[in-house]
Amino acid sequence: MEKKQYIPFESEEPQEEKQEQAATNIQQLGQTNIPQMTQDTNIHCLTIIGQIEGHIQLPPQNKATKYEHVIPQIVAIEQNPNIEGLLVILNTVGGDVEAGLAIAEMLASLSKPTVSIVLGGGHSIGVPIAVSCDYSFITETATMTIHPVRLTGLVIGVPQTFEYLDKMQERVVRFVTKHSKITEEKFKELMFSKGNLTRDIGTNVVGPDAVQYGLIDEVGGVAQALQKLRQLIEWKKEGGTMLQ
Amino acid sequence: MILYTIMPEHFIFQVDSDEYTKQKVVYYDGIPFLVQETETKEWEIVRNLSTNPAHFLEQKYAPGARFPLSMAATS
Repeated sequence: MEKKQYIPFESEEPQEEKQEQAATNIQQLGQTNIPQMTQDTNIHCLTIIGQIEGHIQLPPQNKATKYEHVIPQIVAIEQNPNIEGLLVILNTVGGDVEAGLAIAEMLASLSKPTVSIVLGGGHSIGVPIAVSCDYSFITETATMTIHPVRLTGLVIGVPQTFEYLDKMQERVVRFVTKHSKITEEKFKELMFSKGNLTRDIGTNVVGPDAVQYGLIDEVGGVAQALQKLRQLIEWKKEGGTMLQ
Repeated sequence: MILYTIMPEHFIFQVDSDEYTKQKVVYYDGIPFLVQETETKEWEIVRNLSTNPAHFLEQKYAPGARFPLSMAATS
């Protein structure tokens, strides 16, 4: 059925141009055809991938989510009347706490329906981003690492540094417990448990367990996530207000 | 040499500052792209930063596609 749809597109193009295009495609992409879609879509998709970059710019070989890219995009989504919903896709190792929390707060305060889906991994500061949306999904095989806040490579010199870190961690815990069904006790228990991560404290939570703990709403893939998002859009149109 | 440390790699092996200037964010057809310059004086798309899923279906916006330097706008 899908093939049928693309045939008129191909036959419309002049033969010569088509051949030339196919050659550049093979050269540049290693593939011959990508379906064309011109109509505007009411659902936009934000990807949180790689490391969440903080105040220090990572070398270009790192795959990073930069807040100076993401935050204006969220502002644009909020402003554009044609966009009715946002799907947030996470596959992140975590990163900067401040930048991660900034993105999470932006998503939580978006007036449009948002649904998040964790694929692969939504670790560390990816957890608040995943729970910040109105509804969250996690795939069966995806994992989320919950661990305490730490400074990479820097030494805690004075007790005040430790207290500062503790306060920063408290903000993460408060955000997660406010935006998901997990209790503070359970979240902290996962955060400080020993023996789950090799020589480290914390827990690596797999998809269905994340749902069981109340951290994520449901196990599911892209179909369920989009269905939920459409449902939320409909519900909002009928006059419902977004809760989170 | 085995280096056992919790320090991130980029703190120990500092990347040359030229590496940072290789990639740039530009707008092409109003869509933000992370690009790098090629030897042929063109921009090669490294990453499509758009949130519109439709932009990912256009072959000219796919990673690896190139467009002339003059086609890029900074905002």
